[in-house]
Order: sequence, then structure tokens, then C-alpha cells
Amino acid sequence: MGIFDWIRLIIGSAFLICGLVIFFTEIFGVFHLNYVLNRMHAAAMGDTLGISSCLIGLMFFSGLNFTTLKLMLIVCFLWFTSPVSSHVVARLEVATNDNLDAHCLIYDDVKDLEAELAEADNAAAETDKTTGGEVS
Amino acid sequence: MIFHYIYITVLIILALMLFACLIRAVKGPRVADRLMSVNMMGTMVMVMISVLALMLNEGYLVDVCLIYAMISFLAVVVLSKVYIGIYEEKRKAEENPDTNTEQGGMSDGNL
Repeated sequence: MGIFDWIRLIIGSAFLICGLVIFFTEIFGVFHLNYVLNRMHAAAMGDTLGISSCLIGLMFFSGLNFTTLKLMLIVCFLWFTSPVSSHVVARLEVATNDNLDAHCLIYDDVKDLEAELAEADNAAAETDKTTGGEVS
Repeated sequence: MIFHYIYITVLIILALMLFACLIRAVKGPRVADRLMSVNMMGTMVMVMISVLALMLNEGYLVDVCLIYAMISFLAVVVLSKVYIGIYEEKRKAEENPDTNTEQGGMSDGNL
């Protein structure tokens, strides 16, 4: 093995180990969190970042050929489809859960949330102004 | 030779993680839980197939991996649509139990 092969081995193994650590984090999160919509957050991380770093490591092992191109195609495909499938599963959960209020806060209309956020913003700005006035 | 050992180690670690995913799929209290863990298992199997393709020096296995990615995406989307349809049908039947909604087939749930 020449020096080039050693460099390839080290970089590829680093990416592979990184991907495996991300997969482990994903599984830890899936067992640690206690509701589907929280667990989905951990699961989506492995679907995009974990598999892409594993496949980048494998690309370094493979060298410059058509296999590398196909691996890149898989990574691109997963970047497009993973958010879509996460969204669809979240919609399934929201549509079929009858007591969703027990797990998260729900607004009937988006305008309610916007009004509340604007109010909070205004309050923060006012307190800023008053404290600023006191300081100066 | 070193590459071979690396591939074997990665495959063993991925197999253990796949088993943990399977436990989540069996335990998961809701349907969305199971679908999510099946999606995770698909991702890990994709990495395993790619590692095998390099280990056996067979480039065509990467094509299998690409098809696997497409089919697992399709499975998640179709299964969640089917479950939403079943739930809507059940709720409709509970709301008006007089009208017998025996139309055959399941509704598509805004597919």
C-alpha cells in the first residue's frame, strides 16, 4: 500500500465512523424521547446526515469510478425524499391522534399564534426600552 | 486486507443497530412509531448493501441499493396514506352509524 492508499483509508474510515456515531445517536434518541413527534426528529437526522457521511466514506474507499457516482445519486435521492417521508408520517400522527393536546400545544388558526408572537415581541421591546431608559 | 476487516466491522455494528430498530418497531405504541422505525431500518439496510457492494467488488449491488431507497420511500408514503384513509372511514362510521357505508375498498385519504 502506497501513501495515497493510506490517506484514502484514514479519511474514508473517519467518515464511516462519523456516520456510525450519528446512527448510534439516532437510536439513542429514538429510545430516549417519549413521543412520536419528538422521536421523528432523531430519526430524520440519521436518514440524511448519517447515511450521507457513511456513503461519503465508502466513496473514498471506492475511488473514482461509476460506483462513486451511483453512491452520490443515492445521497441526493435521500436528501430529497427523507423530509417528504418525515412530513407524511407526522401528518399521519396528527390526523389519527385524538388527544394530541396532551402532548403539544395546538393553535386552531395560524393567526392566533402570530398574534401571540407579536404581543410577546412588543412586550420584549417595551421592557428593553424602559430598561434602556433607566440605564441612560 | 485492512479494507476487508473494516467492512466486516461496519457490517456487524450496523446489524446490531438494526436489531435495536426492530425492537423499537415492535415496542412502538403507535402506527407512526412503527412506520418511522421501518424507515430507519431501510436507511441502515441501504448502508449495508453499499458496504457489501464494495466488499464483494460487485458494482451492480449499488443499483439494488438505489431501487431499495425508492421502494422504501414509496412504502412509507403509501402506508401512511392508507392508515389515514382507514381512520377517516372509521370516524365517519362512528359519526353516523345508521347509514351503512359499505362501499368496498378503502378511501384514499386525499391521495
